Amino acid sequence: MKRYDCLRAIARHFGEELVVTNIGAVRHEWQALRPHPGNYHLQNLGLTSSMALGLALALPHRKVVAFDGDGSLLLNLGSLATMANQHPRNLIHIVFDNECYESSRGAPTATAGQADLAAIARGCGFRNVVTTKTLSQFEEKFLSALKGNDLYFILAKVEAGAGDVPAAALDSQENKYLFVRYIEKSEKLKILTSTLSRASDPQTKSE
Amino acid sequence: MKRDVAAEIVDSLKEAGVDFVASLTEANLHDLVMALGEDTAIHHVPVTREEEGIGICAGAYLGGKKPAMVMMNAGFLLSANALATVCIHPGIPVLMLIGHSGGVGEENAGHATVGALTEPVLQAMHIVYEKVGRFEDIRPTIRDSHILARSSRRPTAIVLNKQALR
Repeated sequence: MKRYDCLRAIARHFGEELVVTNIGAVRHEWQALRPHPGNYHLQNLGLTSSMALGLALALPHRKVVAFDGDGSLLLNLGSLATMANQHPRNLIHIVFDNECYESSRGAPTATAGQADLAAIARGCGFRNVVTTKTLSQFEEKFLSALKGNDLYFILAKVEAGAGDVPAAALDSQENKYLFVRYIEKSEKLKILTSTLSRASDPQTKSE
Repeated sequence: MKRDVAAEIVDSLKEAGVDFVASLTEANLHDLVMALGEDTAIHHVPVTREEEGIGICAGAYLGGKKPAMVMMNAGFLLSANALATVCIHPGIPVLMLIGHSGGVGEENAGHATVGALTEPVLQAMHIVYEKVGRFEDIRPTIRDSHILARSSRRPTAIVLNKQALR
């Protein structure tokens, strides 16, 4: 199975879940399948799991799904220990493991050798860890995590290769503003500070 | 760091509105990190590597929290790429409290290079910072640095002189 097939299989199950995507083709694939202001596309390799953890801790009543990659998670293995210790019950950490640095022309990652990210997650203290190798198994495990109320780690062993989708027309700053405005509206929060208008203040008019 | 200094920092953070702190400890930050762990008004996340904390703080900000990161200057240097790509590029604030090793009075020869590089790297990254070495400066500096981080949507830093805060 390929990553795009996995994403396509689960996209229809999404409602108002918040999503953090890793840098690379996954963000274009996901934006094409589920264009939604609750998608946050990270322009960094390594911190997808950490961004998703921060978001999940800030909004414990919202489901957060991270689409991570093997090359990314290998840069930030310690985040698994932090996630397991914090144990947010609203976070699903999905790792698409294609055993290579696909966006960097495909050199093998450590998972092409001996490393097993699911075993590492278990060792860090994750209780719900599964490795999926077929599309039906991936969809089933994702649905069960989506309905559950716990921290999940789903490793999807995939073949390399990106879906045939257009590049997501979303600038990073634009993505941030859309995401934050969506959170402000849906959570009735004030996140972005406003500059005060002094136009109607008689004390400042005389200055 | 003395306990009263740690208590002043925690109280100042709360007064400034900070409700979420990621940290990586060090001998000089020990009392602060322990005090953060005991405080119920702040969600404290001890991390394994400083750049991880920058990612967690950025995610918490997107979810409506007012985050800060507590670390040593070695951890700040380690976090340069995370700050550039996760915070500065999209415009996400984080208040950083950076313990300063390798400054004047430093006895550990190994810290001097990191100490000498800290301010030039902050300047190169266009991160506005204040140096704090006196107890009475802690509260206003935390308040003002946090205000600037939020309004400018950028990281800001407070460099804590470890000799003076001992």
